[in-house]
Amino acid sequence: MNMFSKLAISAGMSLLLAAGVAQAQNKTFNVWWYELPDTPQAKAWTQALGELKAKHPDVTINFEQKTFEQLQKAGSLILNSDQAPDVLEYNKGNATAGLVASQGLLTPLDDEFKSRGWDKILSDTKTQLSKYDQNGIYGSGPMIGIPAYAEFVSVFYNVDMFQANGIKVPTTLEEFEAALDAFKKKGITPLAYGTVDSNGQHLLYTLALTQADDTWVKNYQGLKAALDTKPFLFAAQKIVDWVNKGYISKDSTGLKGTGGADNLFSSGKSPMFVSGTWNNGNFATNIKNFKWSQFVFPTPKYSTGSTGSMFMVPKSAKNKDLAEEFIGLVLSKENQNAQANLGGVAIAADPAAITDEVGKRNVEIFNQISDKGGLGFYPDWPVPGYYELLIQATTGLVNGSSTPDQFVARLKKAYDDVQAAQ
Amino acid sequence: MDKSQNAGRAGYYLYMIPGMLGFILVVLVPLIANFAISFTTWKGGNIAPRYVGIENYQRLLADTVFWSSIQHTVLFIISMTIVPILLGLVLAAVLFDYISAQFSETWSSFFRAGFYLPQILPLTAAGVLWAWILNPVGIINAVLKGIGLDFLAKNWLGDASFALWAVSAVIVWVQVGYCLVVFMSGLARVDPSLYEAAELDNASWFGRFRYITIPMLMPEIFVVALTTLIAALKVFAPIYVLTSGGPDNATTVPSYLSYYHFFTTNRVGYAAAIATLQTVMTIVLGIAFLRMQSKQEGGR
Amino acid sequence: MTTTASLSTEVVSDMHVHHGQKKGFARWIVLAILLVFLAATLFPFLLAALNAIKTPADYAANGPLALPHSFDLTALQNFWTTVDFTRKLFNSILISGCTAILAVVLSLLNAYAIGIGRVRGGKALLVVLLISIMAPQEALVYPLYYMAKQIGLFDSMLAVILIFGVLHTAFGTYLLSSVLTTFPREIIEAALIDNASRWQILWKVIVPVLRPTLAVLATFFFIWTWNEFLIPLVFLVSNNNQTVSVAMGVLSGANTQDPTAIAAASLLGVTPTVIFFLIFQRTLTRGVAVGAVK
Repeated sequence: MNMFSKLAISAGMSLLLAAGVAQAQNKTFNVWWYELPDTPQAKAWTQALGELKAKHPDVTINFEQKTFEQLQKAGSLILNSDQAPDVLEYNKGNATAGLVASQGLLTPLDDEFKSRGWDKILSDTKTQLSKYDQNGIYGSGPMIGIPAYAEFVSVFYNVDMFQANGIKVPTTLEEFEAALDAFKKKGITPLAYGTVDSNGQHLLYTLALTQADDTWVKNYQGLKAALDTKPFLFAAQKIVDWVNKGYISKDSTGLKGTGGADNLFSSGKSPMFVSGTWNNGNFATNIKNFKWSQFVFPTPKYSTGSTGSMFMVPKSAKNKDLAEEFIGLVLSKENQNAQANLGGVAIAADPAAITDEVGKRNVEIFNQISDKGGLGFYPDWPVPGYYELLIQATTGLVNGSSTPDQFVARLKKAYDDVQAAQ
Repeated sequence: MDKSQNAGRAGYYLYMIPGMLGFILVVLVPLIANFAISFTTWKGGNIAPRYVGIENYQRLLADTVFWSSIQHTVLFIISMTIVPILLGLVLAAVLFDYISAQFSETWSSFFRAGFYLPQILPLTAAGVLWAWILNPVGIINAVLKGIGLDFLAKNWLGDASFALWAVSAVIVWVQVGYCLVVFMSGLARVDPSLYEAAELDNASWFGRFRYITIPMLMPEIFVVALTTLIAALKVFAPIYVLTSGGPDNATTVPSYLSYYHFFTTNRVGYAAAIATLQTVMTIVLGIAFLRMQSKQEGGR
Repeated sequence: MTTTASLSTEVVSDMHVHHGQKKGFARWIVLAILLVFLAATLFPFLLAALNAIKTPADYAANGPLALPHSFDLTALQNFWTTVDFTRKLFNSILISGCTAILAVVLSLLNAYAIGIGRVRGGKALLVVLLISIMAPQEALVYPLYYMAKQIGLFDSMLAVILIFGVLHTAFGTYLLSSVLTTFPREIIEAALIDNASRWQILWKVIVPVLRPTLAVLATFFFIWTWNEFLIPLVFLVSNNNQTVSVAMGVLSGANTQDPTAIAAASLLGVTPTVIFFLIFQRTLTRGVAVGAVK
């Protein structure tokens, strides 16, 4: 008994101490993001926080490293409480930003966008995902988020293996398939692929976009009409063909893209990997024994990709002016160039000012895609829960448990249910 | 506190007040709220829910994924309840009255700690480690190919015909330690003279196991069986970290489905309906089990 | 299943071994089999240890199974500083510790009334209590969130302690009630004759006897709470309140995953609970020392 009561008392005391940690004063500026500390974004933003501190020595800056998962799962619950920060990084898209925007949990930034001159920095194509309407659909309504970096899906390729086998960078889908075939004939599985996470749907959507026009992308992403399945049927058929021809391994259904297929590429086993710019840091650091580069998957106009997650100011933020000042600093030329020089895909950098090879290449590719209006976004955005459904369905396609027709039927059912409810 | 010794049994009710109060606030009220939510369509947040009657339930009963998730649960009852209990019983008996006797107490404690370790590992971490072991280019397959058994190298988590078994194996790995620890603490309660008497009668080890160990451990076996049964009906974390219900919904379970709708599709009403059905199912099975236990105890 | 069979045949073949008589070759076979089992059980832990000390480049080149070609603790250090692990450890220990104590005390009080007091409807109450573990957690999260917000307990460790303290009580009550139903009545009778109050009997007579079981319970509760994920994820917003298991999620971002960091984190995440468990090994060994009543 004694032991218990002692323990209980000491536990109670420490609990009181823990609860008594300094309450936030007005002069504390709270910032959250979930980019990992070693990413170019996080490094550049930390720099911006330093500048902010220099301008406001009286303000205590309280930065918290968040987890993507926590904001993804509990974001709306947190933003709906009085624990929200002054500014935070939050995922773009209907199911995340759209949901909390439609719940009225964010501060509209339209006036600041003009008065602070951000409209000069970010063209319309770069702020498509900043506005959400009452149903949480992107494209119209108040502006609630400001992007500070970008991401896109391209083909990572092993330059040495291409040279060794006399293969050129393909510029059409036929050439791409010919390259796949040439590797296969040498006994190499050409594509690193994993369907356990988003990698599966990135390749699928990249293929679908080769068949897509402006209307299709607009309708698909904006839930404007029932699903036109033609592009997806084409993509599904291609993936099944590629599996049958051995361009893609059946083992893909047991691999993740991150922490699986990416290792097949970085260890030099597979010469190509269709994936996003978030791999850059990993590849730049860890690929030591061959030369690698990227090319855009051959497509008439659209590629998988978008502006990155955005900075948003919660409704309940106490220091909105500081939050906006911070966003301004992040968008500044210096900060954007710094991000690109760290290897990041900055959204408003000056390519001429970039010395880092990876950063330069990626900013150029991104500008090339976004200038022609070719950002096709991601396949899981229109429908909440589509991300998981696409993982399941794509896996079914690769392991043969569903045919391309069954595959698109599944996509269509889930899509049309949500679309009809609009 | 309570000094009234002659207040009869009723005085004991006072002791249950804190526990019951907590139960009402933390479990009962939220469950009733959840039940109410299941009759609405709701996105969460501060948009008001809309009443839709039993629509969620109608949809749910027509949802093939839900029905297959129920089927998977039955398999998980085997891998979370039956197999670990059998393994745990044998291990506990071997450690308690064989290893301790033949070697030393230290050895048996050492084994117990070792087998219990998987229980301690956070499942988020365990999931990552098992993914390394089970993935197509992972360790199991590397080993199999290394010893020339290529045909046995399977896509363990990515092939629908193996994924359920692979997940079950991981669950057994996690669960055995729990059963073992509870059974061993129960064995310490058993009167050693029983075993000595059996030894004098020249009963084999197996005979002692069958006629002394198992009957003496009945209370623990029931506790463990009920709790693991409930855990099997609620199984979530291993699925979440290993397969996310994949490949192609081959390993999905009701908990994962409701979690998915609560936090991913934001169909809170629908998710609440799944959770409600699941709770009812668990309660019915749990009560049936307790009935069986009462009969058993009454029969002895 | 075959494993069980082989184990028991091994054991059966070794009949007529008398307690305390150490003899026979068979015991070594049994030991060897157990060791093989144990090695298989612990293999994933070995894997975590191997990879935690590699550089990411080494991992990328040679995969998870290769022996480390590099010895590098930066993965461990990075994880430690990134998530402010010291603070998270403190929080996890505080939350798990308080929860374990709260749940043990509540379970003991309930079980005393049901097992010793034999209150009318005790069995039924027990079944009702068991709903706590029957209800899936995700069903409770939303309503609990709104309740916690109402009373200002959102983003506080206290909320998590109270929630888990109550949820775990069901298991504790069930286990202790079954043990206490077999508690020798004559001991209680004797204490009553000595004019002890019920309150005194509980603490002076029953608790000392139950101590090993209470230790087992506390161990379970501590570890279960330590590994909980969903409720801490939702209820502990600020980093100052977060737990180790939620912090581990830092490593799996949207599209980032450094396997060596994950191995390092797994290792760090499990170490405190292993230490805790080893400390409690002794009490576990003593088991539940309720004498058999004849």
